[in-house]
Parts: sequence; C-alpha cells; structure tokens
Amino acid sequence: MTDALVRVKSLSKQYMMPDGEIVPVLSDVTLFIEPGQHIVLIGPSGSGKSTLLHIMAGLVSPSKGSVDWPALGPSDGLMPTRLQVVFQMASLFPPLNVLENVALPMVLAGHQAQAEVRALAMLQRLGLVDLAPKLPEELSGGQAQRVAVARALAITPALILADEPTGQLDSTTAGAFLDEVIAVAGESDTALVIATHDATIAARMQTVWTVSRGNLQFQPEMMGGLT
Amino acid sequence: MMYQWISGLVRHRFARLAGTALGVGLTVALLATLGFFLVGSSATMTARAVSGVPIDWQVEAVPGADPATVQDAITKAAAVAALDPVFFGKTDGFQASTGGTVQTTGPGKVIAFGPDYPGHFPKEVRLLSGKLDGALVAQQTAANLRVAPGDMVTINRLGLGPVQVSITGVVDLPDADSLFQAVGLPPQAAPQAPPDNVLILPLAEWHRIFDPQQTMRPDSTRQQFHVRLDHSSLAVQPGDAFTQVTRAARNLEARVAGQALVADNLGARLDAVRGDAIYASLLFLFLGLPGAALGAGLTVAVSASGADRRRAEQALLRIRGASSHRILLLSGAEAMTVGLVGCSIGLVGAAGFAAVALPLAGSIAQALLVALMAACAGLLLAAASVILPAWDALRARNVSSTRRTVGRATKPLWQRLWLDVVLLALAGLLFWQTASTGYQIVLAPEGVPATSTDTKAFLAPALFWIGATLFVIRIVSGLILANGSVLQLILRPLAHRLAPVIGASLSHQSRRIALGIVMTALAVAFGLSTALFNTTYKAQAQVDAQLTNGADVTAFGTATNPAGPWLAKLAALPKVAAAEPMIHRFAYVGADLQDIYGIDPARIGQVATLSDAFFPGGSAAEVLARLAATPDGVLVSEETVTDFQLAQGDMINLRLMDARDHQNHAIPFHFIGIAREFPTAPKDSFLVANSAYLARMTGNPVAEDILMRSAGEAALAADTVRKALATDPGVQVTDVGSVTHIIGSSLTAVNMTSLTRIELAFASVMAAASAGLMLALGFDDRKRGFAILAAIGAKPRQLGAFLWAEGTLVIMGGGIFGIALGSIIAWMMVKLLTGVFDPPPEGLAVPWIYVLTLLALVAGSTLGAVLTAGKKQREEAVSLMRDI
Repeated sequence: MTDALVRVKSLSKQYMMPDGEIVPVLSDVTLFIEPGQHIVLIGPSGSGKSTLLHIMAGLVSPSKGSVDWPALGPSDGLMPTRLQVVFQMASLFPPLNVLENVALPMVLAGHQAQAEVRALAMLQRLGLVDLAPKLPEELSGGQAQRVAVARALAITPALILADEPTGQLDSTTAGAFLDEVIAVAGESDTALVIATHDATIAARMQTVWTVSRGNLQFQPEMMGGLT
Repeated sequence: MMYQWISGLVRHRFARLAGTALGVGLTVALLATLGFFLVGSSATMTARAVSGVPIDWQVEAVPGADPATVQDAITKAAAVAALDPVFFGKTDGFQASTGGTVQTTGPGKVIAFGPDYPGHFPKEVRLLSGKLDGALVAQQTAANLRVAPGDMVTINRLGLGPVQVSITGVVDLPDADSLFQAVGLPPQAAPQAPPDNVLILPLAEWHRIFDPQQTMRPDSTRQQFHVRLDHSSLAVQPGDAFTQVTRAARNLEARVAGQALVADNLGARLDAVRGDAIYASLLFLFLGLPGAALGAGLTVAVSASGADRRRAEQALLRIRGASSHRILLLSGAEAMTVGLVGCSIGLVGAAGFAAVALPLAGSIAQALLVALMAACAGLLLAAASVILPAWDALRARNVSSTRRTVGRATKPLWQRLWLDVVLLALAGLLFWQTASTGYQIVLAPEGVPATSTDTKAFLAPALFWIGATLFVIRIVSGLILANGSVLQLILRPLAHRLAPVIGASLSHQSRRIALGIVMTALAVAFGLSTALFNTTYKAQAQVDAQLTNGADVTAFGTATNPAGPWLAKLAALPKVAAAEPMIHRFAYVGADLQDIYGIDPARIGQVATLSDAFFPGGSAAEVLARLAATPDGVLVSEETVTDFQLAQGDMINLRLMDARDHQNHAIPFHFIGIAREFPTAPKDSFLVANSAYLARMTGNPVAEDILMRSAGEAALAADTVRKALATDPGVQVTDVGSVTHIIGSSLTAVNMTSLTRIELAFASVMAAASAGLMLALGFDDRKRGFAILAAIGAKPRQLGAFLWAEGTLVIMGGGIFGIALGSIIAWMMVKLLTGVFDPPPEGLAVPWIYVLTLLALVAGSTLGAVLTAGKKQREEAVSLMRDI
C-alpha cells in the first residue's frame, strides 16, 4: 500500500462558545486518503464537513486525536504545491484579476515561468477563459467558485479539499463542471475530497463518506482498510 | 432608539468613533490655535507699532493762526496724553571759532521746545554729552563746527544780524526724518531729507532770537504742536485702531481747517501695520490651513475605513424596517456625538496651549468668535465624515456595487481636463509676476516706513498646493497603475520573484495606494514647508537685527565721543569673543552728505555677518577681498551709482573733515563695487572704505564704533560691555536681541515661536498618522485578502512582501514628493516675502533635526503599521481563513 495523503486517527473537535458552552463538532474520526482517490463528504449543514476539511488541510488543529500527511510531508509545507483548498465562500484575492488569481499559487511556489501559461490553459479547459481579465468583484458567486477550483487544479497538487465548490451553481452547470474537474484531477492523479450536501454530485464520485452529527460513516471496504 | 444606537456604537465601534472624534479634535485645535494666535499677534503688532511712533500727531499752525485755538481743537478732537509746542526757524547757517580756526556751515534750522518735551517725546532727542537745559547742537553739526559743550556758536539769521549762543550739550536726533517732515504734503510727495545743520534752543531764547526774524520774514518760522495720544483708549486690532486714530485726525482737521495742518504719524503707522496684520493673517493661515485641510482629510479617511461595516449595519437597519430618513437621522446623531466630543477636545487643547504659549492679547469676544468658528468647522467636518458616506451608501448602492472594494481605475474628470497642469501653470505665472515685481519698503509722506503688500501674491502658492496635490495623485497613481519598470525597480529588492504579482495587485488598487501616499506626502510637505519657512524667517529676523545692530553687541560712539579708545578693554572682556573697530563719519558726495564707514575688510567678518545679498556685484568674500586689495577703494550704494553715473574703477572725490585743520577736503577714492546693505548703515545712501586709508587721509585714526561678537548670549555680553563703559555715557551699547524687539514695524518682528511649535507638532502627528494610520486602516480593511493569500499557500515571508511593498511605497513616495512639495512651497513663500526680509535670504535655512525627525516618524509609523499587520495576520489568519 502506498503512503496515505492524509491520515486522521481518533480525531475529535470541539469549540468553546463565548458563553463558555462546549460544542462538540467531530468525534472519534479516523480516516485515510489515498493518492488519486475521489471522495465526497456528504452531510447536512452544520454536520462538521467544513471543520473536517479544515483539519485535513492543516488549517485547524484537532481537540483530540491526530492528523498527519505521510505522503505530503509536514503541515507547513503542504500548500501551495501539495495541497489546495477550495473554500465555501469567495476566496479569490480581490486586487488580482482571474488569470492572476489562478496563477498565484504557482507564483507563490516559485514557478513564475509557467504560471500564466498553465493558468490560462486551465481556464480554457474549464470554459472560464473569458473571465481571465475580470476582477473577482466583477464575478458572480458561481463564477468565483469555479475560478477558485481552477486555481486549485492549475498547480496540480496531490490533494484538493473543496468545500461546496458548486454550491452557487445550478445542477446542470454544476454537473458538467464537476465532470470536467474530475477528469482534470484524474489526469494528474490528484485526490479530490468534496464536501457537499448535493446528492447529484455525490453520485459522480468514487467514494462517499457521510458526516452526521460529527460522526463519519464509511463504506465497508474502507472500514476494512482501516483495521 | 437614538440613545440605544449611540450607546451601541460607543460599546462596539469605539475605535471608529474615537478615531473620527480625535481627527475632528486635531483639526479644531489647529484652527482655533491659529485663530488665537492671529488675534494675539495682531494686538501685539498694534501695541508695538504704537509704542514705536515718536510723535503721534504733528499739527502745524499756518502763519497768522491763533495757536491757542489750535491747541484747544487738539484736546477736543482726541484724548491727549502730552501736547508740546515746537518752534522751527530757518537760518543762513552757523559759524564757530575753535582751535584757532573758523568753521561755517550751510543753511540750517533752529528748533525750540519746552523743558518737558524730552520727557514727553523721549525718542526725539538723545543727549550725547553735556546737559539738556540750554542750547543743544546736533552731533553732525557739532562735528562740522567742531564744537563741544561750553563753546559759542553764531546763528546767521535771515535778514538780521547774527547772534551767538553758548552750547550746553550735544544731542542725537534719531527721528529727524519725522521731526523735520513737511506737514500737509500730499501722500504721493517724495519725503524731505532732514536738514544737515540743527541747533536746539530753549523756548525763551528762540523767541528772543527768532521773533524779530518772524516779523521780517514770516515764512522763515513755523510753529507745530507735537501730540502724544492716550494709547490706553486705542482699539487692540490694528485696523480698528487705525480707523479710530484716523477719524480723530479728520475731526481735528475739520476743527482747524484753514488754521493748521495735521501730520497723522500714528495713523500712517497703523495703516502700515494694518496691512502687515492682514498680511500676517494670510501668511499664518497659509502656513496653517493646509494642515487643517490635511486633518480634515485624515478624519474623513479614518471614518471611511469602516465603510464596509457601515454598509452592513445600514443593510441590517433596512431589513429591520428602518427608513432612509431614520438611517440618516441615526448617522446625524453619530456625527453630532463625534463632532461635539471632537470640538470639546480641540477647543480645550487649543485654549490650554494658548494660555501657556501664546501672547495674551486681544479681546475675549474675538477669542470666543474664533472658538465658535473653529467649532462650526469641526461640526461640519464630523457631518462630512459620517453623514455623507451614509447618504452616499443609501443613494446609489445596489448589491453588486456594495461588494466592490477595488474598482476599475478610471480617469477622473480633472485628470482628463489636465486641471492639475493648468493650476500649476497658473501658479507659475502668478508667482513669476509677483516675484519679479517683489515688495518694496516705501517711505510714507509722514516719514514712517510701511510694508507694501499684495494679497494676490498668495494665490500662487494656493494654486500650487492644489495643482501639485492633483499632479502627485496623477503621477503616483499612473506609476502604480502602469506597473511598469519604475514600480518593479522599487519592488524587486523587497519582493524578488513576487514583484510582478505584487505590482499587479497594487496596480488594481492604484487609487487607494495613491491616496495613502499623497496624504503622507502632503503631511510631510506641510511639516517641511512650515519648518523651512519658519527657520528661514527666524534666521532672517536674526540677520535683520544683526544688520541693524551691526553685530551681536555694538558700542556706538560719536565723532566727539568715539568708542574706539575702549577697544582693548572691550576685546579683553570674557563674554566678548571678538571686537573690531569701525569708523563712522560723514562724507559729501557732491552736495549730498552720506554716512561713510571705515573697516578692515580682512577682519570685519569676525564680528559681523555679511550676506552675499549685501553686494550685488559678487559674493561678500569677493567684494571684501577687492576692497582689501584696493587701499583707496570705496563701495557705494546703488542710488549713488545711478545718480552719479558711476562705472567700476572710476575715481570719485569725497569731501571729508580733516582732523588736522577741521576743514572738509576732497579725498580721492576708487569706486570698486556696490553695497546694498551694511551693518549699522542706513537703508538709503552710504559708503564703505578701508579704515586705514580713511584714517590716514583724515588724520584721525579713532573709530567711532566698536562691533563685537559675543561668547554666548548677546544680552549678557552687552551687560558686561555696558558695565565696562559705565564711565562713558556718551557711548551707547546695544545688543542684537534688544534690536529684534525694537524693529517691531515689520512682519519679521512677529514672534512665531509658539505658532511654529504647534504647527510642527501637529505636522508630526499628521505625518505619522497619514503614513502609519492610513496604512494600518488599509491593511485592516483588506485583512480578508491577506487571509486568502495565506489560505492558498503564501508563506509569512511572502505575505510580508505584500505588506512591505505598500509600506515602502508610502515611505518613498510620501518622502520624495513631500520633500519636493514642501521645499517648493517654502521657497515660494520666502521668495514672495523677499521684500519683507531685510536683507533678503540667500536660500532656505534647513532645520535638519526636525526634517529628519519628521521622516523618521513617517518611517517609524509605517514600520509599526507593517509589523503590526504582519503579527495580526499570523495570529488571526486561521480564524479568518475559517470564515472564508
């Protein structure tokens, strides 16, 4: 078995509210993500999907348990080259246009020479090339989300964690877009984890994990793999 | 609801409220302080001007008028503090026989006044030797006649036989120009030169000698009444006092119509001061108003920094059913709160500062008016900062436009119309027009120097301020927008490979970044121009005083009582660093009697400050070297060069008195250059020669004056010199400090120290706030953007590059454009005021410590903003990213 991209063991997460109340979000979650896997994280709003993604991205520390990235290295070296996150809300850098935004992770990674060419190619591939000169504030919510996905894909990371990437798209557009994203990810052997509550998206992915009240439910073969 | 809203803002939006209130407070404080200073300084100018006028009114009775009637009319026209009759009689000349020779003068005048006169008008007569009760001779006449107290002088009357009087004292007539002025001449008439030969007699003796002459030649005598008005009843402001005195003078003229003529010296002086006061007001406002405008701009910027949050609050209010009218009312309440708090802070601050550091003069009513006006400005500023953005948000915002924080750069109308260039060109044209004409000190018919001013001159710097501000916006935003080689050159050392992307990010925010840079540049320019102007002004006031006094300390003697013999003793005093003798005599250039100064050109620089502006033909060093190399060389005034059509190298004969035979003899000199000014010299005509040549040719090596450079405080040195000369009351000792106070007539006598202090302190706060605060608020506004950068993998070093890029642009742009603007503004102001400075300054005096402090504050506050933003970014990045 190859090294897992993400390894989460017995993880729990709880938040303390301003009034001192402790709110549990995730409890006793254990999982592995293998290279090239396409996983959908499905569950109702407030079930803990986003928190799990943020923990897997290294943005949030668990309250209990552990998370590490055996195939990707230490947490401070994950981004931008090995792991990319697509956030639920608009996450484009406002003072750069779409092309510059898509090229930005590559620039930050020191790949200036190919950054713009690859960014433009990715926009073309995803049918977003017309948006290239626009500023983020000139985009609709759906356009901004698609550009954010393009930005994550362009640098060909090993893992993309996407939080409701098609939440602001109609189901037809969302389906077509996702098909293309899955295809692109497949070409570069990029693992995809998409958090959503949209069943039509879930149907397009290889693996479906369900998050409910902070608990993660796996498919039987996955469970077996973990033991 | 109003109360709940305000209390909620205080609890949850305290920083925004406090920042805006402080901005209003600073602006109000500066405006009020400026106002208090203007009121106080105008009153001080009045007091100084009034005390500087030797005779307020000279009322001349026409031949045949009844003196008692005239005197009665004077006391009825105004409140009079002193009134003395003065008689004038013309003579064919004077004669004296001393030392076996007979000296004769040309026509002269004999005046007479009562024994109280010197007490009532102390600036008219200064006793040099002997005593006042008896016949007195003016020092120049005494020198011409070679007489001293105890000698006899013959008065050659017109049409009558000569009479002899016994001299009891030798006097100086410091105010001869005014004393002998022709009363009743039209204002445009040229001033009359005072007579060369003057004798002063007691009243009874004058009547004994001149009453017979008056009978024969009524035109040869005249009677004046010299009047000192009651100054305690004068208004404090120069304009009001002028109106008051002029009306009284008109009233007197009406009462004595056909019987007497009135010379209103006090009115003329106040008229000049009134002009000076208006000029001073404009000047101080000009120096201060850009600061107030900057304060207002900064307040608006601080308030605008919460625009997104304000829009969100307004949206919430609307969702809850609040009407636009209600939302505006709530904004109005917020503006009123901010305005009242800001005004209170500002006025208390200004009043405290005024009580401690400003001259306490002027009326309470005027001070209250100033405070009221400043408070109104503060309330307007608060309204503009709070209500206008709220109204703007209500009026035009739709959902998509409210999301826009970057915006596409579009050229504003003024840029498309090239308004900045037009304003700069206009400023240049006006400046050239004004500077080429300059200002001239003119002599009023009453014999009082007045400053001629043209308020239009201030239009040039005003237009320059506006034009240059817009021009800097054009240049800075253009450079950033283009993201070309200039911007990359600046960014590359900081950002290395990230320079292009940082350049692109800045380029899309060119308007916002340019605003920060321009605000900083304006703050630096304001501080620098104020500091440069004030330092130059102060230095020039010092030069002016030094020019009048000659040196730090000067011992003025006379021909009959020279200071020269004391040279060795004075040079040995511990507080005297250097002492240098200077001959001061009188020479006839044709028929014109002029002051001639004999100096050692190689040593005069040790005690006196000689500016290059004194000598139009070269630098001071060059001209003095030329004089040293030409033993019989002489420097003459421009007026003499024109009058006598002199060319360099011409030989001119000057008639000087020879000490061996006490007769005037022609002595040849070579004209080698022009002197516009010279230490202690009068403003019109004078000559400067080598003392060795002058001493040899006149047979008299004794110097009349001694110039001294003090070791330490000039006033302390002057005290020790006075003590050393206590046994010789004929030698008068003055120091540069006392002269600064005496000059009193012109703008340079207004003490700007306290104003300077507040303006410079304010400029420092503004510079730090414009750079650091604006930057910090900008970073805070865009913290979400920086969190996004972190979320997609930007390392702290890379995030830092984004922050440092902006910080560097603010420091560089603010510094470079601020220094350029400030220097040009200060240069323009100094150039426009050239006529007020005497002599004009050769260049700007740079207050290096303040300039460096100002730049350090800008750099420090920028550094603080960048480091704080970087630290905050690291601390808050995770929570911000979770919110993305």
